[in-house]
Amino acid sequence: MLSIKAIRKTFNPDTVNEVRALQGVDLTIEPGSFVIVLGMNGSGKSTLLNAVAGSFYVDEGTINLAGHHVTKWPEHKRAKLIGRVFQNPFSGTAPTMSIAENFALASKRGQARGLGWALSPQVMRPLRDRIASLKMGLEDRLDNAIGSLSGGQRQALTLLMATWIKPELLLLDEHTAALDPKSADQVITLSDEVIQRDQLTTLMVTHSMQQAVSLGDRIIMMHRGRVLHDIRGAEKKRLRPEDLLDRFDEVRRREQLDESAAAMLNDLYI
Amino acid sequence: MTLLIGALIIGLILSLLALGVLVSFRIFSMSDITTDGSITLGASIAAVMLVKGVNPVLATAAGALGGACAGAVTGIIHTKFKINSLLSGILVMTALYSVNLHVMGRSNVPLMQARTLASYGESTGEWLANGKTVNVLGWTVASADAALLVLTLLFAGLAGAALFAFFRTQLGTAMRATGDNPQMIRALGSNVELNIILGLALANSFVALSGALLAQYQGFADAQMGIGMVVWGLASVIIGEALTGTRSLGLTIVGTIMGSVLFRLLVAIALRWGLNPNDLKLITALFVFAALVLPGFLERLKTRKHAA
Repeated sequence: MLSIKAIRKTFNPDTVNEVRALQGVDLTIEPGSFVIVLGMNGSGKSTLLNAVAGSFYVDEGTINLAGHHVTKWPEHKRAKLIGRVFQNPFSGTAPTMSIAENFALASKRGQARGLGWALSPQVMRPLRDRIASLKMGLEDRLDNAIGSLSGGQRQALTLLMATWIKPELLLLDEHTAALDPKSADQVITLSDEVIQRDQLTTLMVTHSMQQAVSLGDRIIMMHRGRVLHDIRGAEKKRLRPEDLLDRFDEVRRREQLDESAAAMLNDLYI
Repeated sequence: MTLLIGALIIGLILSLLALGVLVSFRIFSMSDITTDGSITLGASIAAVMLVKGVNPVLATAAGALGGACAGAVTGIIHTKFKINSLLSGILVMTALYSVNLHVMGRSNVPLMQARTLASYGESTGEWLANGKTVNVLGWTVASADAALLVLTLLFAGLAGAALFAFFRTQLGTAMRATGDNPQMIRALGSNVELNIILGLALANSFVALSGALLAQYQGFADAQMGIGMVVWGLASVIIGEALTGTRSLGLTIVGTIMGSVLFRLLVAIALRWGLNPNDLKLITALFVFAALVLPGFLERLKTRKHAA
């Protein structure tokens, strides 16, 4: 389904702000797999998602998705295959346009947009029922501007929009991090429902150990632009939040050791 | 009476320009100065073709098409070469000054002898009214003027309706989303750069159409006629928003047309009362400045009162 081979990305190369965000990532994801991406700040998890989505082109390596070589595809072309929910609830919807119009836009994801009416009966007919299934009472407010809704509501709608046409790959980038705990719970439950129902191949970045152990069938742990751990199958099922925290601690310790060792070598030999 | 009708007609013709500015300024949040050049481009293309005896409808359409090309160039400079939208507009506007002089071959093309949409409208009016004057609600009006008023009203109405319909199509909604949240519409597979280029082409085709009609009404095209027109359009858009609000797109479009007419009326009255025409651009600029600054200023005043 998704096959990433040796991708590298350096931002601001040859300047003081140089960031080697991805340093050779290899990753293959089977169809229908729900993969959680973990890692500390700056480990490259969001960069990995953005590389797949096409927010920038990678410096090296290749990305294959659903039988297409998408490495050189621009972002809007990859959108044909990819549904996305962003961390910022304001990013995924057009605020001054109505709920119905936002869904009309989503119903044409990756297709040619012509001069047919946006709010056609084909769009409007299933819309009410699908939005009613959120149980947020939004089905009676389809003509309201989406900017008047709360972050949780907007994020739930963005998720529904991203999966309106079944995507080959769903990218969730810490999509509950900016929400209050109750809304975050709602959106996570909804995400899991949609992913299970449609058997969506999913990559989800999160900071929550709880979400990481209770959701998905595979965990990728990123560190310094590389995949450090890849936990799947029975091992993933047995995993508890404490185990993950241990692995994080291990990373931190090794980092300290590396630094002090480097300092020692520095003192001794230079 | 003739003065009033003249002001209404020019207001309606310039409402097409205001609709163009509405597209670039409100839908795409860009101050597109190409407007100043493309209104003259529309006028000069139409004028030159009319002098050569080309069918007025064809000449007017050609003028609008010229504007579309100018807008597309601004869009390409902005999106493909990553130049600030304001600067892109300034570059194209400056270039258009020379282009317009080349199109016209001199700085002014009179349309005295040419058959234009205006002269067709006038003769149709006189034929329908069966005389030089006609009685409208007790007023005696030149039938030529009445016919032109109806014609321009029809033009403005049709243009407004077409714009409204377009922005409710799949392509039109994608364009509105481009101005609203480019990241979102890109993630939904629409080409943001292309949308901006098409949007500016659309906006400037309306502006150039307005120029083509204006040249035919006033009987000449002039290299200087575009100066300050984008500010004029902004003033119309802002007055329109005050009249009808911004809650729905349809109301905003109707408001913009009304705003353009009202602004032209106010200007005609002020000139009649002895306003020095030289001060007109200064006052228009001051008006737009005040309209842009006042809402925020009043808001701050209100919150300060609350705090006190």
